[in-house]
Amino acid sequence: MTVTGRPAVARVLQATGVVKRFGGLTAVGGVDFHVGEKEIVGLIGPNGAGKTTFFNCLTGLEVPDEGAITYRDKALPGRPHAVTKAGLARTFQNIRLFPDMTALENVLVGRHCRTRSGVFEAVTRLGRFRREERESLERAEELLQFVGLPKSGDWLARNLPYGDQRRLEVARALATDPGLLLLDEPTAGMNPHETAGVMALVRRVREQGLPVVVIEHDMRFIFGLCDRVVVLVQGKVLTEGAPADVQANPAVVEAYLGKPA
Amino acid sequence: MNQFFQQFANGLVLGSTYALIALGYTMVYGIIQLINFAHGEIFMMGAFGGLATHAWIVPDGAPAALALLMVLVGAILTSVATAVLMERLAYRPLRNAPRLAPLITAIGVSIVLQEGIRLFYPGAKTARPFPRLISGENLHLGEITIARVSIVQVLTAVVLTVGLTLFIRRTRTGKAMRATAEDPQTAQLMGINVDRIIVITFVLGAALAAVAGVLQGMRFGQIDFRMGFLMGIKAFTAAVLGGIGNVAGAVLGGFMLGLVEVLATEYLPLGSAWKDVWAFVVLIGILVFRPSGLLGERVAARA
Amino acid sequence: MRNWRAALDRRTARLPWRRATGPSWLQIAAVVVVVALVLAVTVVGLAIEESSSFVAFLATVFVAVTVIQLSGIGRWVAETFKNHSRIAAVAGVAAAFAFPFTQGGSGYWVRVFASVGVFAVAALGLNVVVGLAGLLDLGYVAFFGVGAYTGALLGGAALSPVRLQLPFLAVVLIGAAVAAGVGVIIGAPTLRLRGDYLAIVTLGFGEIFRITVNNWTGLTRGPNGVAGIPDLAAGPFDFGERHELFGVSLAGFTNYYFLEIVLVLVAILVFTRMDESRVGRAWVAIREDETAAEAMGINTTRLKLLAFAIGAAMAGVAGTVNAHVTSQVSPDSYTFIESILLVAAVVLGGMGTVPGALLGSTLLFVIPEKLRAFQQSRLLLFGIALILIMRFRPQGLIPSRRRTRELRQDDPAEGDAMGSPPSAPVTPTASSG
Repeated sequence: MTVTGRPAVARVLQATGVVKRFGGLTAVGGVDFHVGEKEIVGLIGPNGAGKTTFFNCLTGLEVPDEGAITYRDKALPGRPHAVTKAGLARTFQNIRLFPDMTALENVLVGRHCRTRSGVFEAVTRLGRFRREERESLERAEELLQFVGLPKSGDWLARNLPYGDQRRLEVARALATDPGLLLLDEPTAGMNPHETAGVMALVRRVREQGLPVVVIEHDMRFIFGLCDRVVVLVQGKVLTEGAPADVQANPAVVEAYLGKPA
Repeated sequence: MNQFFQQFANGLVLGSTYALIALGYTMVYGIIQLINFAHGEIFMMGAFGGLATHAWIVPDGAPAALALLMVLVGAILTSVATAVLMERLAYRPLRNAPRLAPLITAIGVSIVLQEGIRLFYPGAKTARPFPRLISGENLHLGEITIARVSIVQVLTAVVLTVGLTLFIRRTRTGKAMRATAEDPQTAQLMGINVDRIIVITFVLGAALAAVAGVLQGMRFGQIDFRMGFLMGIKAFTAAVLGGIGNVAGAVLGGFMLGLVEVLATEYLPLGSAWKDVWAFVVLIGILVFRPSGLLGERVAARA
Repeated sequence: MRNWRAALDRRTARLPWRRATGPSWLQIAAVVVVVALVLAVTVVGLAIEESSSFVAFLATVFVAVTVIQLSGIGRWVAETFKNHSRIAAVAGVAAAFAFPFTQGGSGYWVRVFASVGVFAVAALGLNVVVGLAGLLDLGYVAFFGVGAYTGALLGGAALSPVRLQLPFLAVVLIGAAVAAGVGVIIGAPTLRLRGDYLAIVTLGFGEIFRITVNNWTGLTRGPNGVAGIPDLAAGPFDFGERHELFGVSLAGFTNYYFLEIVLVLVAILVFTRMDESRVGRAWVAIREDETAAEAMGINTTRLKLLAFAIGAAMAGVAGTVNAHVTSQVSPDSYTFIESILLVAAVVLGGMGTVPGALLGSTLLFVIPEKLRAFQQSRLLLFGIALILIMRFRPQGLIPSRRRTRELRQDDPAEGDAMGSPPSAPVTPTASSG
C-alpha cells in the first residue's frame, strides 16, 4: 500500500463546538475533537451518546447546526462525496457494502474519486482509460491483500462471511486514498480471534502513516490500540486522555454502569 | 368576480372527487409503501359496477332513492372485490420484492382492468351513459349555480372523511391500522394480523373510490373505461400534496388540487386544452420544494 | 419446489456435455450451428400464417428451450458462447444481415425488424437509466418523441412548419442533443426523489410532453402531426427504394434495416463499454446503495443526471431515425403505453443486459404481429404478461447474474455451488478458492 504523501500538519482534524439537533433531541451538544498525525483515537460512550451522529457530521451525511470542522487546516466541503475526495473515508456501523457487486468491484468503486475517466473515455477506450483501469485494478488487489482477503475478489459482497465483509469495507474506504480513516464499530459482532485480526489490521493502517478514529464498544480493542480515548456521553465530551487514565476515571465507569443505588 | 366564486365552487366539487380517491392512495401507501397504480381503475370499476347494477339488478320503475342505494352497494361490492383480488394475487406475493416489481405489477393490473372492461363490458368501447339518479333543478346560491349532485359530492366527501377519521381514531381496527402503518413488524408482535389489516385498508380505499365513481357518473351522465387513468394520477398528486399517508392531507390536497386546476384553467392564458397539465405541475412542484407535503407524511421507514 | 431442480441437476451431471466443454473447433462449430439454427427457426416461425399454428409453434419452442435448459445443454451452449464471444458476435451479425435475403423479396418482416431495431436502441438507452443506474423512468417515450419531432421538423418533411432540411447526420446529432437537454431539464429537479415518486413524476413529464405537442400547433401541427418525412438519402442512394444485392431484389425497407443493425451494434458497444467502466460501476453502486456510494466519493447527483441524459440521447437518436422509417410523427405515437412497452422490453428481457433488451424488443414487436387474430386483446395480454412475469420470473428471460440475486427472494438452498470462500476459518481439506 502506498504511503499517503501529504505534508504533515499539527492537526489532521479539528472540530470545534459541533452541535446537531434532531427536533427536540440534541444528539451532539457542542463537541470539540481533534486528531493528530499518526494517531489512533478511540471514540467511546454508551449507546445513544451521539458517536455515529458525530461521524455523520464530520463526513457530511448530516449537516451540523453549529460548529466548525477543519481537515488539514482547510474547511470541509458540504457534500459527502466532496468530503471523501478531500480525504476523509469511513466505514459504517451497519455494513453498507454494495451487496451484489463483487468484493473487487466494491473496492474499485472506492477508486472512483481518484480517477477521472468519464463516459467519453469509457466508450472510446482511449489510453487514459486503459491506464486508469489497470492502475485501479492493481491498487484494488493490493488493498484486498492488505486487509487479508487476497482470494475473495470474485465473491459477491453479500455472500462473504461477516468478518470478511467488515474487512472489505475497510479496503473500500482505503481505496479512496484518505488522509484520515473513520471506523464505526469495526469489530461489532466479532469473536476475540476476529477482533485481534482487526486490531492488527488497524495497526498496519497506522504504520502506513494514516491516522484513524475508531468508534468502539470493545474495551480490549480500545485500550490495546488507541493512543488517545475520547468519551462521549449524551452528546458531550465527558473526558479524554490516555487509555489508562480514562479507564480509571470513575465518571466514565458511572456513565457506562450507572451509579450504585 | 362572480366568475371567481363560480369557479371556486367548481373547484371544490372537482376536489371532492380527488379527495375520495386520494384517500385510497394515501392509506395504502402509508401501510405498505406501494403506489397502487391501479387505484384509479378501482374508481372506474366502481362506476361500472354501479352501472351494471342499475342495468340488470335494479327493477324498472324503482324509486330513485332505492335505485341509488342499490347502485352504491353494487359499486362498492365491485370495487372492493377488485381490490381484494388485486391485493391477494398481485401485491401480496411481492411484499418483500424491491419496489420495481410491485410497481410494474400495478401497471399491469391497471392495463388488465382497463382492457378487461373495454373488451368484456357490453358497449364499453365508447362511453356508456350513466343514470342520473340525483336530479332536479340546479341550485342557485347567490350568483353561483351548482348542480344538486355536485352538492352531494362535496357533502359526501366531507362526511365520509369524517367517518373514516373517526374510524381510524376510535375503533380497535383503526388503531391496528395506525400501528401497522407505523411499524408492521412490531404490530405483528403485538398480535395484530397485519395481512388482514392490509386487506381492510384496501377495502376502505376501494369503497370510497366506488362512491366517488358513482357520483362522478351521475354528475357527467356517462362513464368510460379510461376515466381512471388520469383521475388516478391526479388523485395521487393530491395525496402527495397533502402529505402521503396522512388522511387529512389527502382531503386537503384533493380540494386544493381541484381549486388549482379549475382556477388555473380559468385565469391563466393557456386555456382548457392544458387543464391536465396543472396537476403534473403541482406534483413536480410539491416534490421539489416540499416533498413531505403540506401536512407532513406518515410513512413507516421501509425495513 | 427447488429440490426437483437440484435432483435433476444431480441426475444429469454425468451427461457428456456437463462434464467437459470439448475441443475448440467443436465449440466454434457449435456456435455457428446454433446461430444458423436460431435464424432458421425465426424464418420458419415468421412464415407461419395462422395465429393458432403460431401459438403451437411458440409452445414447441418453449418446450424445446426448457428441455435444453434442464438437461444442461443450455449451460454448455452459454459457456461456449462466452468462450468464443467474438465469433458468436460475428455470426450473429452475419445472420442478421442475411435475414432479408431469406424473405424472397418481401419487405414485410424486414420492416417489422427495422422498427424493432429502432425500439431496441431506445430500450438500450432505457437500460442505462433503469438497468444500470436504477432510475425508474415511466415517461421515457418523451425523449424518443423529442428525437422524432426533431427529425421530422429538420428533415425536410413536406408538411412541416419548419422549412429546413439539414443533412441526416446533423439532424441525428441535434435530435440527440435536444433530447439530452430535455433530460437534464427534467432530471435536475427530480432525480433526488425516491424510486416510486421518480416514476410518477417522470410519467407526469411524459404526459406533459404529449399534451404540449398536441397543443403547440404552431410548432408541431398539433394532433395532425408532421407527415411526409422523406426517405433518407446518402448521395444518390435513396433509402426508400428497392435495391439489388447479390442478385436478390430487396424491398425498400431493407436499407433502413441494415442501418438499424449498424445503429444497434453501436448502441450495444456504447452500452457495454459504459457498463464495464468506472462510470458503470458508479451507476451500479448508486443503484445498490446511494448513501454509501456518495460516501465513497461518487457525486451521485451528477452521475444520475449523466445516466438520464445519455439514456435520453440514445432515445433521441432512435426517435430521429424512426421519423424517417415511419415517414410521419404524431402525438398519439408517444403515449404512456409506449413508455411502458419500453420498460417492459428492458425488464422482461432481463434488466441490465444487452441480450435481454434485444430479446424483449423483438418479442414485443413480433408476437403482436404474429397474433393478428388477437389484435383486440393485445394490450390485455400484455398487461397479464407483465403481472405474470413480475410474479414468477422478475429477473426476466435472460437474467444478469446480479439481477437474479436482487429480485428473487433469497433462498438459502440456492447458494453458490462454489463452496465456502477461501478466507473463512480453514477446514482440514482446504478449498481451492
